Amino acid sequence: MTASAIPYRSIAGALRPTPGDIAVALLTVVLLVGLYLHFWSGVGGEGERARIVSADNGVQIVPLNEDRTLTLHGPLGDSVIEIHDGRIRFIESPCQGKQCIHAGWLHSAGSFAACLPNRISITVLGRNRHFDSINY
Amino acid sequence: MRKAFILVLVLLSSACGRQETKLHDTQLLVMGTLVNVSIWDGDDDVAAVATAGVEQRLREMHRDLHAWQPGPLTRVNEALAAGKSAPVSEEAAMLIRRGSELSRQSGGLFNPAIGDLIALWGFHNDDGPHGPPPDAASVRALLAKAPAMSDLHIEDGSLRSENPAVQLDFGGFAKGYAVDEAVRILREHHLNNAIVNAGGDLRAVGRHGDRPWRIGIRDPRGPGVIASVEVEGDESVFTSGDYERYFEYEGKRYHHIIDPRSGFPAVGSSSVTTISKEAIVADASATALFVAGPDAWVRTAKAMGIDQAMLIDDKGKVYMTPAMAKRIHFEVDPPPPIEVVAP
Repeated sequence: MTASAIPYRSIAGALRPTPGDIAVALLTVVLLVGLYLHFWSGVGGEGERARIVSADNGVQIVPLNEDRTLTLHGPLGDSVIEIHDGRIRFIESPCQGKQCIHAGWLHSAGSFAACLPNRISITVLGRNRHFDSINY
Repeated sequence: MRKAFILVLVLLSSACGRQETKLHDTQLLVMGTLVNVSIWDGDDDVAAVATAGVEQRLREMHRDLHAWQPGPLTRVNEALAAGKSAPVSEEAAMLIRRGSELSRQSGGLFNPAIGDLIALWGFHNDDGPHGPPPDAASVRALLAKAPAMSDLHIEDGSLRSENPAVQLDFGGFAKGYAVDEAVRILREHHLNNAIVNAGGDLRAVGRHGDRPWRIGIRDPRGPGVIASVEVEGDESVFTSGDYERYFEYEGKRYHHIIDPRSGFPAVGSSSVTTISKEAIVADASATALFVAGPDAWVRTAKAMGIDQAMLIDDKGKVYMTPAMAKRIHFEVDPPPPIEVVAP
């Protein structure tokens, strides 16, 4: 062994990744993918929320990852909204046409349903809104 | 190891430091519908003041132009029915002139003079009609009176009609005018990047930051979006659909877009989308093209100066002008059958 080879071997040893380095690198990749899905892609269903606007109750933002039923009062009476499994829908409304109920489950960002006679609307919000406005 | 941790921290901090949204999004419940005002990149206070101004203006218009709630327009209609002249505001006179011009261009397919017919169908009601549909004899009797915008004359702020059957109903273009007014108010406040969406019909100005505004067009036969279009500068996108207001009676659906020729709901179309600069023009033309139907919509579009239009017929087939086909993107897979028709 020559004297000059010792530092070389020392540097090579220092550059060889330790199990700890590999673990951190893997963690970084996992975190980055998770952050991307969470903040940018809009595919993280759990991150989605819906905006409910009603004449009597104002604006409320509800998460779609908590199953629940909401009853909202409007000029015609009570409309009932169900949130289940990352989706939201009208299940009861005192209007004539029941278009709001016919709209069915809403889950993708930008989708919406409204009971205009009872002045209540639902819009699904995404982390990254696919559309800025819906024409109908 | 320590360096790797620092790397993770740097990556995390850059991910968390995303830019805050610059969108001021306000929902208003006015004019019997939901109005959404979206403003990009304006000062918070200016956006709030401008949006309040829009709300106040729309409430005034709702009061002044309502076709059945007692107010200035119902008083004008009462006078016309009695064969008398009626004083009209400058704004009402302007709308009557614009409505007459749009009606003439459409060959009468857009006709704001058929308020009696709309009332006969029961659509002068906040909760929509419950049926049954009117009997054919009553419809024919109203059609025989042939109310038309050309029956109207305005002199020195006074409106008179040659035909007492004329009853004004601005439902076919008042929303468009309201959206134009809202955009005008935002611009007065130097808010030049915004969308005003009134019950699904909109005018978009400027951009959403570094990209155009993205508009989704509703599928007339489903809850989702059938197509999308990018809008920037200053354009209005209006859709008339048979799903907006309707009633069902004995298993048959009767929608609110009444064909002034037959007196019955227009047949053949399920939705029409038009794009033009002014919302008032987009609104009236969407109605006229819907009434024209799959066979005559192109002719009507040309007569009204509309080069961007899409009609979806009652079987789901899509017809488009070349200018519309160039910019529209279908969001459903597979896309529907499409025919591009040159005007």
